[in-house]
Amino acid sequence: MKNTPQTKSNAPMLIIGAVLVIALLGGWYLISSSKPGTNSNIAKANNGNSASTPKQPTVPANAPQGATPPNQTGSATALVTIEEFADFQCPQCAATHPIMNEIKSTYGSRIRFIYRNYPLDIPAHDKSYDASVAAEAAGMQNKFWDMQNMLFSNQKAWTADPNFKQIWKDYAQKIGLDVPKWENDMAGIAARARVDEDKKRAKGLNVSSTPTVFINNVEIPFAQVNVAGLKQIIDAELQKAAPQGQQPAPAAPANAVK
Amino acid sequence: MTETEAPKIEEKSTIAKLPILAALVALAGIADAIFLTVHHYNAEPVPCGGPFDCEMVLSSPYSTLSGFVGNVPVIGDMPLSIFGAVAYFIAFCFAILAAFGDRRTWPLFGVQSTLMATFACYLFYLQSVVIRAYCQWCLISAGISAALFIIFIISIFVKRRTA
Repeated sequence: MKNTPQTKSNAPMLIIGAVLVIALLGGWYLISSSKPGTNSNIAKANNGNSASTPKQPTVPANAPQGATPPNQTGSATALVTIEEFADFQCPQCAATHPIMNEIKSTYGSRIRFIYRNYPLDIPAHDKSYDASVAAEAAGMQNKFWDMQNMLFSNQKAWTADPNFKQIWKDYAQKIGLDVPKWENDMAGIAARARVDEDKKRAKGLNVSSTPTVFINNVEIPFAQVNVAGLKQIIDAELQKAAPQGQQPAPAAPANAVK
Repeated sequence: MTETEAPKIEEKSTIAKLPILAALVALAGIADAIFLTVHHYNAEPVPCGGPFDCEMVLSSPYSTLSGFVGNVPVIGDMPLSIFGAVAYFIAFCFAILAAFGDRRTWPLFGVQSTLMATFACYLFYLQSVVIRAYCQWCLISAGISAALFIIFIISIFVKRRTA
């Protein structure tokens, strides 16, 4: 290039600009074409004609049941069931945790929320299985949700700490567990069996990443796992399931499916 | 024209073509990175088969960057592929400017492609040692980064022979 003359042409800038515009517009178009309210809502998935959301399988009836009874809140007879598969060491799961809390507090007994353990078998998530066992052991003293909340809210703190079990013990004390019993349950078979049952269900449903959320047995694209996206789907499901002439009050009228 | 001048002219022509080749390769990198980014935000699995386990790699904590203040995610779930797309675009800019005769940008392209190839090695290490699964689209990206670096190295050797 030593002997190539310096050019005064605008051609390189035009090419760079064109590539930038094509890349930005192309990326934006491809992403926005699959956003909530456009072409990937749950109604389409139920009709089986969602072209842009190929990964929305309906849960087969013979799928493994998971831990029984599941860790659930809300009403067992609610018209809408939300089932979340999550991993305590996954940052996206920790980011989803407050979203799910908001959904639970907004809909109360109108929904049934089920949490499933799906600790991924990867070296980077080396504490995840034990964290699920810790939460299940807390569940044996009816404190599953308190421990789940502690683990997700403080994920950064214990994930990076080699002394993580002592940190969990502090959480156990903080939420009022009988710590020796909790430790005993952690070492026992029952808590592990519940985690293994949940994992079997996740694998049976071909869950390949966390968090994965199902609403009324339909997998929700991750892009819709936000407060507005979930409210839109839940409102639509409540409306669909309500008896004729009886319309449930939507939680978010602005986002309700028309 | 003497007999010794002929190959030198040929080599100079090769040097001039290398930035164009680099720009085209960088374009492929931009496309690959955008493809991965779009699939991330649409939460759609990428086409994957054979010995590859793309979901394992792309759902691992190494596939995204999250910025935390305390325990509160402030960036949250930015796929690494976005940064890849930006890096390829910068490499593309340097290459295209060099192709049009701006001598200053080719060394910058060299620095950029070296950094990218180094980071690609780190990502390959994560796949092979830490995650123990491979994603073909990530390997394609690593190959493109390596190709950009090799193009730069070739340009140095050809330049030395012409000098």
